Amino acid sequence: MNETKTLLALFQDVDPAAEAIDKLREMGLDDGQMNVISGIPVTERMLGRPTQWSNVPRLALGGAVGGFLLGLFLAVGTPSLYPIHVGGQPIIPIPPSVVVVFEMTMLGMLVSTFIGVFLDSRFPSYSPKEYVPEISDGRIAVFFECPADKEEKFTKAMKSLGAESVKPAEAQKL
Amino acid sequence: MTTAAKSESHIHEEHEDLREHLMLDPKPRGEMNAMVMEAMHTTSWKFKLTAAFLGLVVAVCLFGAWGYLILEGMGVAGVNRPSYWGIFLVNTVFWIGISHAGTFVSALLRVFKAEFRRPFTRAAELMTTFGLVQAGLSIFFHMGRVWLSYWLFPYPNERGLWPNFHSPLSWDFLAINTYLLASTMYLFLPLIPDLAMARDRSTGWRKTLYRILSLGFRGTEGEWAHLRTAMNIFAFAILPVMFSVHTIVSWDFAAATRPGWSSTIFGPYFVVGALHSGIAAVAMVLVVVRATMKNMKYFIRKEHFDALGKLMLIVSMGWAYFFFNDYMVQWYGGDKWTDALLHFHEAGPLGWMWMLMLVFNVAVPWLTLWSRKIRTTPGLLFAIGLLINVGMWFERYVIIPISLTINRMPFSWREYKPGVEIFLGIGTLAFFILLYMIASKVIPLVPVWEVQEGQMAHSLRKFGKARVPTVSEIE
Repeated sequence: MNETKTLLALFQDVDPAAEAIDKLREMGLDDGQMNVISGIPVTERMLGRPTQWSNVPRLALGGAVGGFLLGLFLAVGTPSLYPIHVGGQPIIPIPPSVVVVFEMTMLGMLVSTFIGVFLDSRFPSYSPKEYVPEISDGRIAVFFECPADKEEKFTKAMKSLGAESVKPAEAQKL
Repeated sequence: MTTAAKSESHIHEEHEDLREHLMLDPKPRGEMNAMVMEAMHTTSWKFKLTAAFLGLVVAVCLFGAWGYLILEGMGVAGVNRPSYWGIFLVNTVFWIGISHAGTFVSALLRVFKAEFRRPFTRAAELMTTFGLVQAGLSIFFHMGRVWLSYWLFPYPNERGLWPNFHSPLSWDFLAINTYLLASTMYLFLPLIPDLAMARDRSTGWRKTLYRILSLGFRGTEGEWAHLRTAMNIFAFAILPVMFSVHTIVSWDFAAATRPGWSSTIFGPYFVVGALHSGIAAVAMVLVVVRATMKNMKYFIRKEHFDALGKLMLIVSMGWAYFFFNDYMVQWYGGDKWTDALLHFHEAGPLGWMWMLMLVFNVAVPWLTLWSRKIRTTPGLLFAIGLLINVGMWFERYVIIPISLTINRMPFSWREYKPGVEIFLGIGTLAFFILLYMIASKVIPLVPVWEVQEGQMAHSLRKFGKARVPTVSEIE
């Protein structure tokens, strides 16, 4: 069984980081064996990485539907539970019901969008993780798994592309 | 001077001029982080003294006066027949208006990719959350028996009867709470990367606090992707919520068949009014933040005051349009009671307030903000913003207690004389400023990652002899 090692290469800019990813692919790694961590949102398009799948829009839609139904219950359901006829006014007037349904739909959508970020990103997560504080100083870190016996070769390749440092990635308390 | 020297001097001036723009004057991210952290950590004796004074005002005017109101009952307030909604509601509407600027500046300008928004979106979003806190408090004051406030919550009483959700006051409850929750979440999401940055640079209790609040954020591709998606959804979805809140607040008045209130354009009139006071308040806050917090002169520049000044001028025109539209139709209608009310607004004992409302909301911005020099002079912009806010507070005073004085039953006409609510109003203002001051020392006031992203997207392009800024679509 081949032993693998996780290395962390730090780059100052997007261009060398994107080149490094190409180089890692050339050297036989696939996208699942690499991860990029950055202090600004560097898009997948810039790095030539596969698009990230996000469930947030679906959760938002689900929340909107839930909120809509809750709004319907408040505006239409509750007056029907205990109908009080006042001055010939309708029990379920449509225009005021629209207001309640709208507010609850938006609330459902926004709350589920917020929760969606937590679920998709697995927040909160306080266990030790591979990270270096330089990332929030604007560096771009490329993490990759390589065969342990080829560590030197990969290190050299990354340094030749402008990596500031290449070192074994260590999980640390954030 | 030779032609070559002139040309060189021109290029040098142009270069200096372009460097006035934050997006074209980048600094390394580490340096920007250090500047923001230093601004948070540096606390002068003036800051402490001001905070202590505000704390005292909050203790006396807000909690003290509120306690007195609860102990003595609503009789110590000036609200009475026919003006049941006095300064309590004036302040509620005023603070909800202030809260609109945060969402407007942050969400609308984000949707339209207005680049000047980047350094001050958070400063504006904080105003939304803290403004809504004051609006909520003002409603609680007005309840009198505040311990029964849970009656507002949507659940049935012991007879199985639910609150009436077809009442504008129930819409208020739903809309204000939706907006408060949504704007707090919208404040928090883009804050996560900056909290992670603060976590990496802090020790002691701050480290623990930022570690908890940053939720373990590292900046992986997935985390950014989810955050970006959520922020886009929020930017689009929170805008209709923002418009709905002040529209619903306006319906508290417009849904009543009273002279002066029953108007079909109250919704947009209130929304524009909210933006008028809110944007002016953002400008005021930025002037104070820039003048009092360390390193903020780098992030908040004349270009930002210039842009906000233009927005203030445009919104002032919008407000004048809606005011005149509302006034014209009521005046032309010739209804006896409406005529009496309009006359009371203009020539009654508080006619000066109506007049100053027009001077501060229309004449002052129109006569001053056309000038770039005035827009980019922080002190002047602060003074104009202050006058606009005073004018907008007067507007709410004219609409609520003054308009309530005149109704269709002349025997009940009585002038409103505020009581304890004056102190409560001062208390909420002090509480807003105090909360803002505390927040400025606890959370990064500038979204550093957004500024860096903007600086990466900007570059200079040569057109003939001129170099012009260009922006790439990198988001």
